[in-house]
Amino acid sequence: MTSSSRVLSGAAIYFWLALGALITLTPFALGLLTSLRSPQQFATGSPLGLPRPPTLANYTGLAGAGFGRAIVVTALMTAVIVIGQLTFSVLAGYAFARLTFAGRDILFWVYIATLMVPPTVTIVPLYLMMAQAGLRNTFWALVLPFVFGSPYAIFLLREYFRAIPADLIRAARIDGANTLDVLVHVVVPASRPILVTLTLITVVSQWNNFMWPLVITSGSKWRVLTVATAGLQSQYNAQWTLVMAATTVAIVPLIALFIVFARHIAASIVVSGLR
Amino acid sequence: MSRKPKSSTVAVSCLVAVMAVLLAAAVVLGRTGEPGGRTVVTVRLWDPQVAAAYRKSFDEFSRRHPGIDVRVNLVAYATYFNTLRTDVAGGSADDIFWISNAYLAGYADSGRLMPITGSPTWEPSVVEQFTRDGKLWGVPQLTDAGIAVYYNADLLARAGVDPAVLNTVRWSPDESADTLRPLLARLTVDDRQWGYNAANDLQGIYLNYIGSAGGVFSDGDRFAFDNPPAVAAFRYLVGLINTDRVAPPASDTNDNGDFSRNQFLAGKLALFQSGTYNLANVAANARFRWGVAMLPTGPAGRVSVTNGIAAAGNPASRHRNAVREVLAWMGSPDGNAYLGADGAAIPAVLRAQRAYFDYWGRRGVDVSPFFDVLKGPRIAAPGGAGFAAGFDAIKPYFDEMFLGRRDVARTLAEAQAAANSAAAR
Repeated sequence: MTSSSRVLSGAAIYFWLALGALITLTPFALGLLTSLRSPQQFATGSPLGLPRPPTLANYTGLAGAGFGRAIVVTALMTAVIVIGQLTFSVLAGYAFARLTFAGRDILFWVYIATLMVPPTVTIVPLYLMMAQAGLRNTFWALVLPFVFGSPYAIFLLREYFRAIPADLIRAARIDGANTLDVLVHVVVPASRPILVTLTLITVVSQWNNFMWPLVITSGSKWRVLTVATAGLQSQYNAQWTLVMAATTVAIVPLIALFIVFARHIAASIVVSGLR
Repeated sequence: MSRKPKSSTVAVSCLVAVMAVLLAAAVVLGRTGEPGGRTVVTVRLWDPQVAAAYRKSFDEFSRRHPGIDVRVNLVAYATYFNTLRTDVAGGSADDIFWISNAYLAGYADSGRLMPITGSPTWEPSVVEQFTRDGKLWGVPQLTDAGIAVYYNADLLARAGVDPAVLNTVRWSPDESADTLRPLLARLTVDDRQWGYNAANDLQGIYLNYIGSAGGVFSDGDRFAFDNPPAVAAFRYLVGLINTDRVAPPASDTNDNGDFSRNQFLAGKLALFQSGTYNLANVAANARFRWGVAMLPTGPAGRVSVTNGIAAAGNPASRHRNAVREVLAWMGSPDGNAYLGADGAAIPAVLRAQRAYFDYWGRRGVDVSPFFDVLKGPRIAAPGGAGFAAGFDAIKPYFDEMFLGRRDVARTLAEAQAAANSAAAR
């Protein structure tokens, strides 16, 4: 390959990458710009124009719409679900990978088969269960369906745990370690990449969860970010400036998470095959 | 000598402790100050501005009824009727909830609403909307009044049009009798300014055109818009958009209910036909001289739709007597007047409407066209069993029709069949 053709192919690659970045990032930029306009500017100006003058009124307006509480509820819900899912999924994944008991594989595949059931199918039975238990519009109803692990997490962890050398675990056993010691001192440290992956997947999916919180809660008490954002649209007014401020606020924690764990996210793509 | 705990035990203990702290935080967050010995009645609605007015109203109610505490549960309109349905079915809905005419039938027919004793002090059109099978199912709270035309006085002046002319304008399929179309042509400037907001808008636009053509949109619980006057009305509207090009293209308005209003506020639309529900927004954001005129008259007269909202009692409530007391307050002039005090909504209790007129009178806005239009014939606001499903089924047909891609008569016939079929399911 000559140097000129190398330059050309490099330029072509950068062109497509820049185009991809433009297409991906433009909606976010437009959202940010819209959030800095007044409703009057938005109604009367060009959607692509710059805010003149920029205003933070939409962000302060979010406080009046109960957004602060929605952030706290969402953060709390996400934290409880992440800790619960990781804990129970590690336990289940280890049991399916390393413990021997009757019906282990059948139980595993039956559990994994639930991955094939679309979540919307289970919403009505889950709702009825929660309503019968008197848990509708409570924090417990938000977290209970998700806190005890997920088939996807258990599947990933089981496969990862099976790849840990058995000799490592045997050596720990010889040193007097019980199952909990093996998990805490051998399996979990050796599985850091997959655990980071699962943490990120769970945080993002729960932070953005809309359907279940919408169905099981009402009013402002346990309203999460996604439902609060949808709620900014009134009957005759979409209030796009406020909605864009809300979505900007909602993605900030996820962007921060991405920046902090950028290296692990790159590694997790290799681990899980996720794109 | 005490043994040091194993590090694995410490790790698990830390995990449990963190979880316990998070759950304790959730418990603290969920605590509500229950008033000792008082009955709590909850009221669910979707409008934040009206919710603020209700809070003031309920404060006064609680002062007069110390044993009852009333709490407002604000649920966004976008999700209101979805969550209401699941909550009513699950037996956990609020004690009182707002309901619109479009959704009344399903709840009333399945015994999910308390019957209400009517009062002559309530807006008759709203009472009529919420009466089904001879029984009233809600306490009227708000009325939309009628539809009128907001005009940009600057654009009219530039085109040499006297605003008073707007009150005499007629639309007609017969070109010789049609004065609206020539007027809109004068108010339209290629690619820069539209004359009017003809669009796929049920309440603001096409119901009124069907009515003023002498047609009907629905008959009882059935969709019935496939009739010759309605065909003429829709042909006229579609023509304004796609032939005369005096209204924004349907590609802009079909899926963006705010488009026309925003164009009006941007000074790019001369006439904006809508209801009082846009009055506060126009008053706050218009940077030009504006006013309100009467609807165009059609072949069958000047006909407007009017709509209302009622508060329904939940028969599954644990405090039915307290609910009845709160409903009585909400239907009284004293309790209802709070809703009109800031001009955002029109109280449905007749004697409470003074607050609304006073508010806009102080701001120099003449709201009489919204009310005067109701002195003439009206077209009923559609509703009935399965209305919401039927209306959803109409949308793709009407979208294409307003884009000018489908024949109007054929589209109305097909859309009506699809709507009735969806409603029946």
